[in-house]
Amino acid sequence: MIKATSVSKTYNNGKVEALKNVSVDIRNGEFAVILGASGSGKSTLMNMLSGLERPDCGKITVEGTDITELNEKQLTAFRRDNVGFVFQQYYLLPHLSVESNVKLGADIARNKNYMPIIDALGLCDKLRAKPSELSGGEQQRVCIARALAKNPKILFLDEPTGALDEKTGRAVLDCIMREKTRRGFTMIMVTHNRNIGETAQTVIEMNSGEIIDTHAVSRQKSAYEIGW
Amino acid sequence: MVISAKDGLKLVGISIVCFCAVFVCTFFLNFYLDVLPLESEVGEQSQAIYKAQLATAQMCCGVTGGVLSIIAAFLLAFYIKLYIDGHATTLGTLKALGYSERRLAVNFCIFALAVLIGCTLGFGLGHAFMPYIYEQLAIDGITVNITFRPWLIALLIVAPSARFAALALSVARVAPRRSAIALLRGGAESAKPSKPDVKSKNRPFLTEVAFKTVSANKLLAFFVTFSCFCFAAMVQMGIGMENLISDGTAMGWLILSIGIVLALTSAFMSMTALVRNNGKTIALMKTVGYPLAKRTAAVFLGFAPLAALGFAVGTVYQYVFLTLMVNIVFANVGEVPQYGFDVGALFITLAAFVASYTAIVALYTFKLNRTSVKSIMTET
Repeated sequence: MIKATSVSKTYNNGKVEALKNVSVDIRNGEFAVILGASGSGKSTLMNMLSGLERPDCGKITVEGTDITELNEKQLTAFRRDNVGFVFQQYYLLPHLSVESNVKLGADIARNKNYMPIIDALGLCDKLRAKPSELSGGEQQRVCIARALAKNPKILFLDEPTGALDEKTGRAVLDCIMREKTRRGFTMIMVTHNRNIGETAQTVIEMNSGEIIDTHAVSRQKSAYEIGW
Repeated sequence: MVISAKDGLKLVGISIVCFCAVFVCTFFLNFYLDVLPLESEVGEQSQAIYKAQLATAQMCCGVTGGVLSIIAAFLLAFYIKLYIDGHATTLGTLKALGYSERRLAVNFCIFALAVLIGCTLGFGLGHAFMPYIYEQLAIDGITVNITFRPWLIALLIVAPSARFAALALSVARVAPRRSAIALLRGGAESAKPSKPDVKSKNRPFLTEVAFKTVSANKLLAFFVTFSCFCFAAMVQMGIGMENLISDGTAMGWLILSIGIVLALTSAFMSMTALVRNNGKTIALMKTVGYPLAKRTAAVFLGFAPLAALGFAVGTVYQYVFLTLMVNIVFANVGEVPQYGFDVGALFITLAAFVASYTAIVALYTFKLNRTSVKSIMTET
């Protein structure tokens, strides 16, 4: 379980309040979407929950461990053992092939059996290709494969379809949801697209650094059922 | 994994500096070791010259080896910093994935490859030049046999490479100490609000850009100053050396060549980094309609006073260094003439300096002009 209690974060010596006293609970295996406009604090909240950034105050526990108390080395180990990331900008290593990029995730988790993940994401015929030779959708699938190759307990996704067109975006989202169902990890996705919220179990809506609404979705839709 | 051997080979500047250091150390150290047992064979009258040559070999080995090692270490640290800044998102991604700082830092050991190549070439060429140098430094017509010492390989190739690998590891452990998210954003941990700059209000725009370019590139400013320092000090020292020691022409040329190589290496390294760091500013100025001369001035002009400062300090340094050498090392050698400041050498060096650095700026101006706005703006 991920539990954030009264978390606040400011930037520029307190001039910008990114998060104001935010509390949130996410159950194991849950798919939660953090929804909000640009500057609402959704990415900051995700960065806090994943141990990428530290809050100014408040407490974040993951499976009972207070990650705000961990030092940098312990946080790195926490991310290594628990967390997978999918970024909007992919952040693939440009000089490495698709296989090596995925291996980068597998390697750190000592997972030698990463080929089925590449296969599941339909990248088998692109193993030797460099990121620059791939389309946006393919690059995002490599990013997902890299994250899944770590066998994460929690998968964090920051606007994974934000840079993709509708068709590719739906395909990538479908791909993510299939893997989520198959592997059962906890998934937290940040998005500004309200429709994507309909694919989640829980929607956390944010505005100006505050949670303005949290609700459970009555019927989860597939990536092809939602509007775009 | 993160850094390929190809990246390690890009450190030509470090290879050149290491080459120079090991090249000089190889034959002076070998010469010293070969000549040392010959004291009894040297006649009474030549004892002073013999001792002076031993002292020269010791000094050249120590000073050149020491100074160049420090320079190479600075260059390595400088390059690692540039590499980390240029690959911040890659490092941030790896840190986010859970790669520890230690594991990332190990990759930087590959940069010692440049040191290994430079040292090996220096050692090889040092041995190749040895017969010529021995001939130049012959005392009393005594034949000095060249002895090949395998342990010098350990001292001049293996040890520096290992030391620089350790240095790269240490620098890389400290330099990217930013959180994964800060690296992913490609910036600092949390940007401190900058102090209001009252003076900038009164400066013309182009002067302001030139001023900010220097203040934003302090490390480059150091290397520009250092490059000019090297040029002034070693070219004048090379010329001055000719008058100081018998058969000083070879030594003079050696110092002069090393000086020019060092100065140009650091000049090219700093200019390349400068142009790369300021690509977007230049592209924007081009888009807005600033002519080439003004764009160039915005990048390079701010460094002109530093170049002049480097030249002045280099001139003073070589004068003080040679004066000390005459008074301390060659104090017992009667034939050494009195050393005085060489105004002629100063003017020759100044003219060569102005010509060389103008040519370098012209070369980079040409390069800047050929780069398209799109290629700069779309690069990640």
